[in-house]
Amino acid sequence: MMLIKRYIPLAIVFVFGIMTLATYYIPPKLAQDYYLETMNKWINIVAAFAFLLALLSLFYSHYNKIKRKVDGWGYSIFVYIGFLVVVVCAIKSEGQLMTGPALTSLGWIFRFLYNTLSASMFAVLAYYIVSTAFRSFRIKTLQAFVLFMAALFFIIGKVPLGNVLWNKLFFWTNVSISQVTDWIINVPSVAAKRGIMIGIAVGAIVTSLKIIFGIERQYMGKD
Amino acid sequence: MDFTAILGAWIAVGLTLFILSFLYRDNPLFKIAENLYIGIAIGYIFSITIYNVWIPKIYQPVSNRVFTSLSNWVPWVSKFVTPAGDAGSLTPLFPAIIGISLLTRIFPKISWISRYGFAFIVGYGAGLAIPATVATMFIAQIEGTIQPVFKLASGGAIDLSGPALWTSFSAILLCLGVIVTLFYFFFSLEHGKISKKVTKIGIYFLMVYFGAAFGTTVMGRFALLYGRFFDLYTYRTSGYYHATPILILLVLIFFFVYFGKSRKTSP
Repeated sequence: MMLIKRYIPLAIVFVFGIMTLATYYIPPKLAQDYYLETMNKWINIVAAFAFLLALLSLFYSHYNKIKRKVDGWGYSIFVYIGFLVVVVCAIKSEGQLMTGPALTSLGWIFRFLYNTLSASMFAVLAYYIVSTAFRSFRIKTLQAFVLFMAALFFIIGKVPLGNVLWNKLFFWTNVSISQVTDWIINVPSVAAKRGIMIGIAVGAIVTSLKIIFGIERQYMGKD
Repeated sequence: MDFTAILGAWIAVGLTLFILSFLYRDNPLFKIAENLYIGIAIGYIFSITIYNVWIPKIYQPVSNRVFTSLSNWVPWVSKFVTPAGDAGSLTPLFPAIIGISLLTRIFPKISWISRYGFAFIVGYGAGLAIPATVATMFIAQIEGTIQPVFKLASGGAIDLSGPALWTSFSAILLCLGVIVTLFYFFFSLEHGKISKKVTKIGIYFLMVYFGAAFGTTVMGRFALLYGRFFDLYTYRTSGYYHATPILILLVLIFFFVYFGKSRKTSP
């Protein structure tokens, strides 16, 4: 049983990991095209089932809320309503958003419901980001001041009012605010970002190797 | 004006107001919109999965293969069913079985079978991540950091003009910035007096990056907010039967009734 439950999954990880890794370093076109192309199709199919698992889990969780009549159970019904409406429209319009210039029913849902809800949900965060920053951020150190100035330059550089103010106050520098913003983004900001990215890259490579060689086994869960 | 566009405008305004109402206080309208969003988002991804994966990558090749084989063995089948496209293939069944193994996670007694599916995803992902990470996040970043310090002017001489010198300064600063940032994350040795100073400079670079990232996030979110306000502004007109002012009024009435009631009932 140990073989089926533990060793075969570890062997699968090792074989697919090494094979995928090897295709990048084997020049023949066949290995690159055939293996990677097939594997990409396969991973799409497996990911579709992984999504189905997530969907079932979500439905089960909301079903339990409704069944147990927990606080706010009535709102869970809207999850099912939203899902059913979209799926029915998708079947009716065969998964297409547009037919020529006209919106299909799925396209209509995407335009007026999905886009609206998604944009509004993230737009609300605009207020919370700013209000939280205003309440919690205090310029007590030079480092905090540097952070504040970088954010300020970036924000005023992206709005017309900031451009007008900069041109009125700092016209004598012969430098536009967009040049300053671009320099901040392209030089000091990129320097720190690259440092972080190189660190992440080293971590990702090491973790991947640990997974392939069976040292890291968290994905297997408990026995 | 098209009826569907008017209906869409009313729904869009209503849902925008429901979500934005959270800025005042958590309320049933927000909760309805929130749950509807989850349902619609998951339904949309599900539809994409059906039409981009399950039908073209599993159902069509497998059914084509089955029908073609059946027609060869039992010729009268072809009178009733004509497979669309090529002869198809049964190979998608293999990843489909691996995928189905993931669903065993739901049943605790046989949930260990899902390890096969996860092993495939994790193994392939790990194998793919190493070369991709080395190429894009490691070598490409170092390559971008080490740039020529001086530019050559026409005639082969070093360009010492103001903009060229500024570019040189930026290139040196960028290189130093990357080194000091990496130094900040280097924990293998205890930081001494000098290295502590170096890491402090690294922190300043990090602060600039965090500031720029904060600015980007704020501007991105505000761009979305402008979009919502623009829609509310557009749908206020008589062409949309004054969707925005009417719905704002209705939401306000609901607020007065709902919060007035909860104030009376609360001790």
